[in-house]
Amino acid sequence: MNIRVPDSWLREHLKTKAKVAKIAEYLSLCSQSVEKTTKVDDDWVYEIEVTTNRPDCLSVLGIARELAAILPRFKIPAKLKQSTVYSLQSTVKDGLPLEVKIANPSLCPRFTALIFDDINIKPSPKIVQERLEKSGIRALNNVVDISNYLMLELGQPMHTFDYDKIRGAKMILRESAGGEKITTLDGQTRPLPDGAIIIQDDKGRIIDLCGIMGGENSAVDEKTKRVLLFVQTYDPMKIRRTCQLLSFRTEAAQRFEKGVDPQGVILSMEKAIAMFEKNCGAKVASNLIDIYPNPPKEKIIKLDLNLVNKIIGIEIPKNEIVNILQSLGFSILHSPFSILHFSVPHWRDNDIAIPEDLIEEIARIYGYHNLPSLLPSGEIPQQKKSFTFVWENKVKEALKFWGFSETFNYSMVSESTLVKAEINPAECLKIANPLSEDWIFMRPSLIPSLLEVVTKNQPETSEIQMFELANVYIPTASDKLPNEILMLSGALTGNQFFQVKGIIEALLAELEITHYNFSPYQLKKTFYGKIFHPFRTAEITIGQDSLGIVGEINPIILARFGIKGRVVVFDLDFNELVKYATTTKKYTPVLKYPAIIEDLAFIVPPKTLVGEMIQLIKSTSLIIQSVELLDSYKDTRTFRITYQSEKKTLSDKEIEKIRKKIIDKVRINFKAKLKQLSIT
Amino acid sequence: MDINRIQNLKNQAISNILEAKSEEELEHLRVHYIGRKGEITELIKKLPSLEGENRKEIGILLNDAKRAIGETLQQAQGKLQITQEPLDKEWLDITTPGKKPSHGHLHLITDAIREISEIFEKIGFTRVAYPEVEWDWYAFEGLNMPKNHPARDEWETFFIQGLSSKKYGEAVLTPHTSSGQLREMEKTKPPIRMLNIAKCYRRQAGVSHAPMFYQFETLVVDKGINIAHLKGTLDYFARQYFGPNRKTRIRPFHFQFTEPSFEVDVTCIVCGGKGCRVCKQGWLELGGAGMVHPQVLKNGEIDPEKYTGFASGFGLERVLMMKYGIDDIRLLFSGDLRFLKQF
Repeated sequence: MNIRVPDSWLREHLKTKAKVAKIAEYLSLCSQSVEKTTKVDDDWVYEIEVTTNRPDCLSVLGIARELAAILPRFKIPAKLKQSTVYSLQSTVKDGLPLEVKIANPSLCPRFTALIFDDINIKPSPKIVQERLEKSGIRALNNVVDISNYLMLELGQPMHTFDYDKIRGAKMILRESAGGEKITTLDGQTRPLPDGAIIIQDDKGRIIDLCGIMGGENSAVDEKTKRVLLFVQTYDPMKIRRTCQLLSFRTEAAQRFEKGVDPQGVILSMEKAIAMFEKNCGAKVASNLIDIYPNPPKEKIIKLDLNLVNKIIGIEIPKNEIVNILQSLGFSILHSPFSILHFSVPHWRDNDIAIPEDLIEEIARIYGYHNLPSLLPSGEIPQQKKSFTFVWENKVKEALKFWGFSETFNYSMVSESTLVKAEINPAECLKIANPLSEDWIFMRPSLIPSLLEVVTKNQPETSEIQMFELANVYIPTASDKLPNEILMLSGALTGNQFFQVKGIIEALLAELEITHYNFSPYQLKKTFYGKIFHPFRTAEITIGQDSLGIVGEINPIILARFGIKGRVVVFDLDFNELVKYATTTKKYTPVLKYPAIIEDLAFIVPPKTLVGEMIQLIKSTSLIIQSVELLDSYKDTRTFRITYQSEKKTLSDKEIEKIRKKIIDKVRINFKAKLKQLSIT
Repeated sequence: MDINRIQNLKNQAISNILEAKSEEELEHLRVHYIGRKGEITELIKKLPSLEGENRKEIGILLNDAKRAIGETLQQAQGKLQITQEPLDKEWLDITTPGKKPSHGHLHLITDAIREISEIFEKIGFTRVAYPEVEWDWYAFEGLNMPKNHPARDEWETFFIQGLSSKKYGEAVLTPHTSSGQLREMEKTKPPIRMLNIAKCYRRQAGVSHAPMFYQFETLVVDKGINIAHLKGTLDYFARQYFGPNRKTRIRPFHFQFTEPSFEVDVTCIVCGGKGCRVCKQGWLELGGAGMVHPQVLKNGEIDPEKYTGFASGFGLERVLMMKYGIDDIRLLFSGDLRFLKQF
């Protein structure tokens, strides 16, 4: 949370001659970060980001306290000014009554209240108005301004009621239940979630949404004469929960939910009395109500000096450690040896719990910039290398040089994207609290995202060639994390099935993966099976394992995405690729005897599978080193066959025998006829 | 078989080769004499049918003839090339644009991941990967952020519908790579030097915040690890990634899972540390870091009495955008080829 602190106000609490820039720099280095300093009239305003663990710094006083410890470390004298305030000693005779009942003391650890009479509502003094404005709060009137002013100055939020609007001078502080409602000061009627801390008066009217905003029905207005001032602390969890459920947060609530120091309540009350008397001409009209059943015990932390050095990395002398902590308000108890005992100042009660917390205090005030900078010198861990990253790099590099551009798309997709791709959203992981309609489901496939990218780029780029390597998310059970499967998917525009198939074959070769098959796609993954063209899609398999798919996108789906022309994609399970990939290359002796190469052209019936013909021809003899499809024209398929023996020079006779076998096999299995033989 | 005939054949072949005027002619002669059905080849094929002494002698002769013809052919080819057209007739306009192979582009994020991995691998870190859809325990609770803790506000978290575990709580999209800390501690025992680069998710969208982004996280756990080691590692990274003159500084911050906790700044890469519009008095915020909280070590079943550790987590796009001066994070995830092809 950011706060704005005017320099002039700060110096009311801190006696120092430090320059504004130095205050900003040193506060940032050793405590809370000053985001910027802005000149306002003849003053400066610090904008300070206060971390969640330091609600004590959400005030002018808190920042002054820090600076009083920090600035002297930079040889700039600085001292906290003790403010003299009204004393609460006096008792009021025949004070105005207020009956208070607290349903459960844990809701409100400390409840204090005081009634003022003879209020004269008017604008605040100029200095109060100016300080509020510089701090980012609008000045309203002298009563309301006091509560805001003291919240900024001391970090203690307050609330003021019009005493005469509290029916029966009676309050019950309790949790809301069963769908109650309140109209808050801002005129909004808010249905209350169960468990909000509220106050009802004797007539059962809800007059306060405690710690967040007061009720409209009890608000101070220009006619107010008597004011009930509330200075309380509340259960931070309750405040936080209510704010979250209402999606409504105020400055006061932000402080309460981080924890307000109950010990600081009285100081705030005293300052308030002084301001009411001075700014409103008011007089105290009741005795102080202070319900504080369980004051926290003083917290003692044991600190082992060896641990300090172990974590900070250098030896800081004992007396310096003690000085630093004392400058922050800690007091040292009897500690003769290397274990020191410190008591925690009440304003730090919430955030200091373990020795490491004290070490942080010591180190930051000593100055992180004063510590050395060293690389860890210990043993280098012997971790097993994950080959996934090695292959990732290799595959990405290969695709890049084959013309692919890499994209990164969001893991979340919209319902309409899934539906367009015939993916059933019910089978996908869903975000319970999405940010927008575009990002609701965790994608089970990269293809819809790639199609969207094609759509987006098609007006400018005619030939699109892109890929993505990313996880997809497949739900398993309602108490198990989904399978996160790393997929390598790519898309090419145009009638390019064989280009894509060739790229995948080259990629598999690069990974030394052999013995795979391309077979017609069996629609194994039902959730996205319909995305593919049923007659132009192949699955790559090794035994029972599927490495993925190469195929054209179904034209119906392309039309839904508004894509012109064809799109061919590949969609590979990267973990399967890694499983079969290998870096160990096998040596086979180079063949010494000459190879004989000849081309066989066959006339084939329609829909003859060339892949199967190649396999059949190849399997005819061990001396057939390779069979390539040389040409495919109308019903003619020409194969180039390389014969080579590792034992001898092949004779014509031997070749002729094998050739005859090939021709026979092809005729029997495919009803194909030899058209031409050419020897090269 | 007539020895003379073999000699004649050889002489005839050589003289023909020497007179040949073109590549085609030479190829024709090669096929004629030593091709698969060439004259010498045919004679060699007949060798097995010959008898006695003669066969060996003829065999040697034939092979010698074949070799000689082959060598002559080679020489003739060489000469033919040299004596062909004068070279100035082969003039090329070398200013004509070259024929480029197709060439794609890797994404900036890939480049950055590689670079960062290399930098940390050199000092003994190992890159890991852990779930993106993660249990509350790993993302929050085990990192000292119980449910409803205000510190959780900093991580605006996406929850997954209908997915929870009795043991580990609700399922979230991990809002930071720190969820890998406990995973790593469960998997390995110290010494640990982990580099976790992964996708993270937060309910945020704007020029500098995307709902999905990358972080890179370091975790070191060993005996005697202290703040100085964290500073050293950060400085090393800044010099390697941003350049030799860069420095880092750490300032107090707060995370529930580190104690002490720091915010890490690097010398502004725009102004070099003098102070400018982009930076804060010469410094740019890089991310968070800290000494691993003893409770987190305990949650990872590591004895905090024996071991200490540090961790740091930075936004990857943030450092990358600083480096390239990109002003809108959403461009990185737009899939716009006009952008992607610049890198």
